[in-house]
Amino acid sequence: MSPAALQSLLPQLILVFGATLILLAGAWLPGRRLWLYSGAVLAVLAALCAALLSPALTEVGGLYGTSLYARFCTVVWSLLVAATLLLSRRYADLHRFGGGEYTALLLFAGAGMSLLSAATSLIGLFLGLEAFTLVLYILIAFNRSDNRGAEAGLKYLVFGAVATGFLAFGIALIYTATGSFHIVEALGGLQSGGALRPLGMAGWAMLLVAIGFKISLVPFHLWTPDVYQGAPAPVSAILSTAAKGAVLAAFLPLLNVMGSGAAEVKLVISLLAIITMLVGTFAALPQTNLKRMLAYSSIVHMGYLLISLLVGGTDGGKALLFYLIVYSFATFGAFAVVTSLSSEQHELQDYAELRGLGYHCPRRAMALAAFLFSLAGIPPLAGFFAKFGLFRAALVHGYTGLAIIGIFASLVSVYYYLRPILVLFAQEESVTLAPNSGARGEYLLLAGCFAAVLVLGIYPGPLLDLVAVVLP
Amino acid sequence: MTADIGTSSPLLSLLLWLPVAGAVLCFASYRSAVLARWVALATALLVLLLSLACLTCPAGPDGWMLLTDRSWIEAFGIRYSLGMDGISLLLVILTAFLQLVAVLISWDQEKYPALLFGLLLLLEAGIIGVFLALDLVLFYLLWELMLIPTFFLIGIWGYRRRVYAAVKFFLFTLAGSLCMLLAIISLYLLHGEQTGSYTFALAALKQTQLGFGQEMLFYLCFMAAFAVKIPLFPFHSWLPDAHTEAPVAGSIDLAGLLLKTGVYGMIRFAFPLFPRAAEQSLPVLAVLALFGIFYAAWIAYLQTDIKRIVAYSSISHLGFVVLGLVAWGQTAWEGSLLLMVNHGVTTGALFIAIALVQKRTGTRELPKLGGLWKSQPNLSAFFLLFSLASLGLPGLANFAGEILVLIGTFGSHPLWAVIAVGGVLFSAVYTLRMVQCTIWGPSCEPFDRQDLGRREWLVLIPLAVLVVLLGCYPQPLLDPLQLPVSLLLRSGGLP
Repeated sequence: MSPAALQSLLPQLILVFGATLILLAGAWLPGRRLWLYSGAVLAVLAALCAALLSPALTEVGGLYGTSLYARFCTVVWSLLVAATLLLSRRYADLHRFGGGEYTALLLFAGAGMSLLSAATSLIGLFLGLEAFTLVLYILIAFNRSDNRGAEAGLKYLVFGAVATGFLAFGIALIYTATGSFHIVEALGGLQSGGALRPLGMAGWAMLLVAIGFKISLVPFHLWTPDVYQGAPAPVSAILSTAAKGAVLAAFLPLLNVMGSGAAEVKLVISLLAIITMLVGTFAALPQTNLKRMLAYSSIVHMGYLLISLLVGGTDGGKALLFYLIVYSFATFGAFAVVTSLSSEQHELQDYAELRGLGYHCPRRAMALAAFLFSLAGIPPLAGFFAKFGLFRAALVHGYTGLAIIGIFASLVSVYYYLRPILVLFAQEESVTLAPNSGARGEYLLLAGCFAAVLVLGIYPGPLLDLVAVVLP
Repeated sequence: MTADIGTSSPLLSLLLWLPVAGAVLCFASYRSAVLARWVALATALLVLLLSLACLTCPAGPDGWMLLTDRSWIEAFGIRYSLGMDGISLLLVILTAFLQLVAVLISWDQEKYPALLFGLLLLLEAGIIGVFLALDLVLFYLLWELMLIPTFFLIGIWGYRRRVYAAVKFFLFTLAGSLCMLLAIISLYLLHGEQTGSYTFALAALKQTQLGFGQEMLFYLCFMAAFAVKIPLFPFHSWLPDAHTEAPVAGSIDLAGLLLKTGVYGMIRFAFPLFPRAAEQSLPVLAVLALFGIFYAAWIAYLQTDIKRIVAYSSISHLGFVVLGLVAWGQTAWEGSLLLMVNHGVTTGALFIAIALVQKRTGTRELPKLGGLWKSQPNLSAFFLLFSLASLGLPGLANFAGEILVLIGTFGSHPLWAVIAVGGVLFSAVYTLRMVQCTIWGPSCEPFDRQDLGRREWLVLIPLAVLVVLLGCYPQPLLDPLQLPVSLLLRSGGLP
């Protein structure tokens, strides 16, 4: 590889080599805190690199692009990885995670996500996606003493392997139809049609199935609640934010490239969006476990995001990125609260155990309430403008039906977000398991997410402008 | 919209943000109830003084006293624009006053005091903002901002069925406001397509060319939000639960202020934006209002819980307010707005009196109450005064508004006025029953024989003075209303 190519991929290289280094060194020096913190520093460093360093090449090896959009995504995922590492500090101590391995895996995941959203070729897409899902299999089952974690890991593995199969086969079919792996050419070739177009469309269908598994669209969502519930809370945090965001972000340019040739694909996506929103919403209603509820909530949010994906163009892209960031803050924050409440034996996640938490830890309860209100889209929290922008874009571009279903889903969603909030404050029974007092890093992250959710709700202008700048 | 009409000053922003700052301080001082209490009192007092200071601002030729207009979220064409005319002014003063009362009456709250005071201030910011906003998204934002604090006020500090009441309130109002949001966005898109400038400014959107069908649809969407809040007859079922289960401060805010935001929304937004649809809907509104007056009065008569009686009486009174609007005339509108203010004061006062009764007797059930005059003469006297004001005794607050509404309505629609007069009679029936069974009759045994305490006097006396003053000399309130009302009636009264 030429020095220019190395320089262009520097952020990802920092993540990968940093991870390798920590993995190796971790075998000799078993300091948990040391590795978690240095991992976080590395991730921040990668983010800074991506943000500040202008790359020498626009494309590396015909696989990965270095557009502003790709760099922006790298920044976001790296920061999320850093936040997850910080969040895991106390949790890892409690459950005696191997510091080096855990850190290295998360950094690898960050590299995979960043490569995925930078992919300009189908091969790059495949590699990026597999790089971080492979890592997530391990991370989900990282707590060896927890049977539920092992079950979750296995579930994710089985579903993930099937999805990988679909993905590989889909890419092969698209290649057969178009003769190229490069996304622009492959999709351009598909658009022009020809005898092989049906093959290409079949390839697209398989690609959609694979992506449906990864971002848990209905009917490929069955693994989600179990995995979220079983995985360690910090892992669930990154699983529900960056891991899904990266796939969506990678998918956005794909649809844009297809342009008008994507009518059939768009039809399928809009059907997926509708059933995802509706099924997710109604499945979330009876949940009595916070992590499971958040799992269904993330399914519904993916449904909303599909709408912005359909809208496409700059409007859809802006809405998607803004929504994704706001959603990530709120969801990450909610999982951070779960993490900070967890003790050695147990994560507090059933509503029955969360009763009256407002008395015991008013600040965390308030933050959790704010995150849930934001997810529900109640102003003045950030979720409102995210939904506003998304549904506005949908209405502008004529997706009225989808927008109305989305608004209906978000009205119903208020009910399942309100339930835990009421449990936290309105019920007076004391908490059976004394909640943990939490660590400073966790409070820091919570404060950050809380501030973001609040400030973006009152003054979203700067982020909207930034998002508009980075779009391809 | 330009800011050169009226005076641009930071006063409006201060009115909106001061309570927010106070709320943040309250939340921050969650360890010390005393500190939170005093912060809340100071903030509420300051806001009241500020709102009174607005009285000195002269009104421009188009009725606007103060305007503020800044860019906010340019990507969506949303501006931060606030305006105050005579109508807003009165309602803002009412808000500031009642909120001060609410803070005082919840002074010795023991459950999460800091959270309670913070939420009260946040609610105040939301309500004041609703009365000032001139940009539709800003309005919607503040409209929804009222939701979260009220939800918590009912859900945390309420009585037995509080969770049910809170969720019901939340879902009802949210469903209404989402309809409004859809209409707002559609209107914005239509306007943008027609003129090329995407904006949410009320004055600009009023110029949008709409087909009659579209206009009616949007109007109905707006009215869905407002009718739920008022509440107009078939949309009222959340109100009795919310009022009954809410703590006293919550009831004051709900009855005294939140209901008014619905009416305000109608006259400031729904009517001017969709005049033709509004005109067509007037007979329907009149029927709903009249039906509501009698229906609510009848149900109130059947209740045994005194708080529920007052809750239903609110529906009945708001029926009068809406009737006045429907009459579509200067006198009737002024009467409606006056009645809103008066109803805010009397009903707030009545809820406080009921809370004090409940504190002493431990019950709100009529069969268990009675003979309170013997042990609590002072409290009973206040209770009687507020009840009489509520039923519309001449010389006390509600009468002035009701009579103006009736006179105004009689001028244009005699039949409606004649029917509505019957409503006054009905309200006398259920109110007197309530008073009789509470104050007189066989005496119940209050476990707390203490008559009014010092802070309770402090709260009740200003309310009583106001009730008498507003009844005897309402002119100072009518003066600022005159110009904006006539402008609204004529041309939508936009800046």
